[in-house]
Amino acid sequence: MLSAIMNLFGRSPFAPLQSHMNQVSECVRHLKTLFEAVKRKDYDEVQSITDKISELEHEADVTKNDIRNHLPKSLFLPIDRGNLLEVLGLQDKIADRAEEVAILLTLKQIDMLDTFKDDFNEFLDKNIETFDCARLIIKEMHELLESSFGGAEAIKVRAMVDEVSFKEHEADIIQRKLLKSLFKAENEMTYSSFHLWLKIFETLGSISNLSEKLANRVRLMLELK
Amino acid sequence: MSVETILLILVLVAGFYTAWNIGANDVANAMGTSVGSGALTIKKAVILAAIFEFTGALFFGSHVSDTIQSGIVNSEVFAGNPLILVYGMLAALTGTGIWLQTASYFGWPVSTTHSIVGGIIGFGAVIGGIDAIYWDNVGFIFLSWVVSPVLGGLVAYFIFGILRKQIFYTSEPVENAKKLTPILIFVFVIILVILLMFHGLEHINVRFNFIQTVAISLGFAALCSLLSYFWVNGIEVPTASKEKQTPYNPEVILALDKAKKNLLLAQNSSVGSHRYQLSLLSDEIDNLSSSYKQNEDPELTRSQYAIVERIFGGLQIITACCMAFAHGANDVANAIGPLSAAISILMTGEILKTTVVPVWQLALGGVGVVLGLATWGWRVIETIGKKITELTPTRGFAAEFGAATTVVLASRLGLPISTTHTLVGAVVGVGLARGIEALDLRTTRDIFISWIVTIPIGAAITIATFYLLLEIFG
Repeated sequence: MLSAIMNLFGRSPFAPLQSHMNQVSECVRHLKTLFEAVKRKDYDEVQSITDKISELEHEADVTKNDIRNHLPKSLFLPIDRGNLLEVLGLQDKIADRAEEVAILLTLKQIDMLDTFKDDFNEFLDKNIETFDCARLIIKEMHELLESSFGGAEAIKVRAMVDEVSFKEHEADIIQRKLLKSLFKAENEMTYSSFHLWLKIFETLGSISNLSEKLANRVRLMLELK
Repeated sequence: MSVETILLILVLVAGFYTAWNIGANDVANAMGTSVGSGALTIKKAVILAAIFEFTGALFFGSHVSDTIQSGIVNSEVFAGNPLILVYGMLAALTGTGIWLQTASYFGWPVSTTHSIVGGIIGFGAVIGGIDAIYWDNVGFIFLSWVVSPVLGGLVAYFIFGILRKQIFYTSEPVENAKKLTPILIFVFVIILVILLMFHGLEHINVRFNFIQTVAISLGFAALCSLLSYFWVNGIEVPTASKEKQTPYNPEVILALDKAKKNLLLAQNSSVGSHRYQLSLLSDEIDNLSSSYKQNEDPELTRSQYAIVERIFGGLQIITACCMAFAHGANDVANAIGPLSAAISILMTGEILKTTVVPVWQLALGGVGVVLGLATWGWRVIETIGKKITELTPTRGFAAEFGAATTVVLASRLGLPISTTHTLVGAVVGVGLARGIEALDLRTTRDIFISWIVTIPIGAAITIATFYLLLEIFG
């Protein structure tokens, strides 16, 4: 009879979700040092950091699959299961994008020109900042569970979601500025480099987009008047 | 030694063993959640369980024991050969004991109550004939097996809904928890005391009329309420660590949001300079909201919830004691009901004339339960306590409130139910109110199966054991 009560509590996916987010955060963190290496033209370092990011992304995938394997239909959660899986999917996509950016940088020995260096730093920082805000939202999950996704805690999280939206908007503005600088420098590089930088900006920008989507998914879980 | 004496000894041993088993395995379900949430240490849990199980069995176990002793099988049918009934009751006790040992070895969730009742029904129907069973009583009992988890779940859902709305969803969780505590205690105590005192203690000749019952229950509830009020006020409310210019108040932000939405409505339905002025107004409101939001102390909510949990840790101790009490009252009957019927026949040589279980037998059952708890049950409580940490005090309180009131109600009505199933129902109720991180609903499927399976198996084993006894003694 003791097994009845013990079996009633299933494996909670929330703590694994938070540790998955931490793993994704590790991937994104390395982007800063990656671009430092590109500036220094240290292409061996670029390759080794890219390998590290790939490894971290793979570990995050393992965690993600583990979570998915332990969400049977019979498990009743305080939030919509679809929402939870979407948040997990978005976290996974962010890690994928970070890996993609790193791999793009290894395709050829690319140069970061002084003309758009400062704008690019701003862009990179803003994207990482947006992601960090989303990461803090996931960190609040434990408190949200305690308060049953309502009350003062939910209002706090909603404010955090609004902040992520705002930062994503700022990232968009910087991206436009950055693209203009890139076009101004179009004659100083080969077409393939130009195309590669466009690709890098696009992929990097998707990190803030995905972070905003993630924040909005969490907002759907909240119980607000 | 005459056959009667041997049978008497066997019946006493079997009854005592069944009571011991209840203490060893079942009590853990009542107390385990409180240990898991941290409201009680194992030592305190065992001591409190021992006291309250015994008290519940002694003072309140008569109703259910009477039902099992004489409310299922019509003993008149055996007037010609009373010893048959003795064999039947002994078979029910020993057969169930063996079945429970086997089931716990394999880890099947089997209810003692269901097994004994199934056994007695099986024996009575097969040996005494269909007319030997009080089928209307049996119908009520079956109904109670289905209704008790549902009722426990409903009450728990309701209580946790109140906790959610009045505490967690507000801006002042600790303040509201303090206000709510005396009210919750009052309601809880009043329900229990009324159930207990309303003709509840007649078998020990304690009688109160209606007015006395109401007066005593109101008085006692008010006293408990007052005590809890003083205790709760001793707990500090955490305040913001730094001085802020404007105090943070989420109600204000909510109200501002509403105002903004209404302004937008007005803005969209007007033109020209009015529209422009309305847009200026909504910008002002935006600035106000953001200046409010910046003043929030992020650590505040975390510590507030921790204190709310501490308050409910104390409340959970009370509900845990009531769970133990209710469990003692309902489950001691599983051992003592059959024992009482058998002893009455063995000592008087005839079928039962009265339907009341003597107090000394209830005490014997109580002692058996406590011994089982002291020798083996504490280990099980420890195991459950270590494994169930998902239940925080607020959730545990809501679940135990639902389960305890349901079990006490069933005990008062003389209905033998499974406390474990009721507790599972209550926890599911809390889960449905979004209180638990992950709830495995396969357990409910197991409970459905056990409803169907236990009666036939309990009956079959009892009948087999009966024929065995008939061979040995007949």
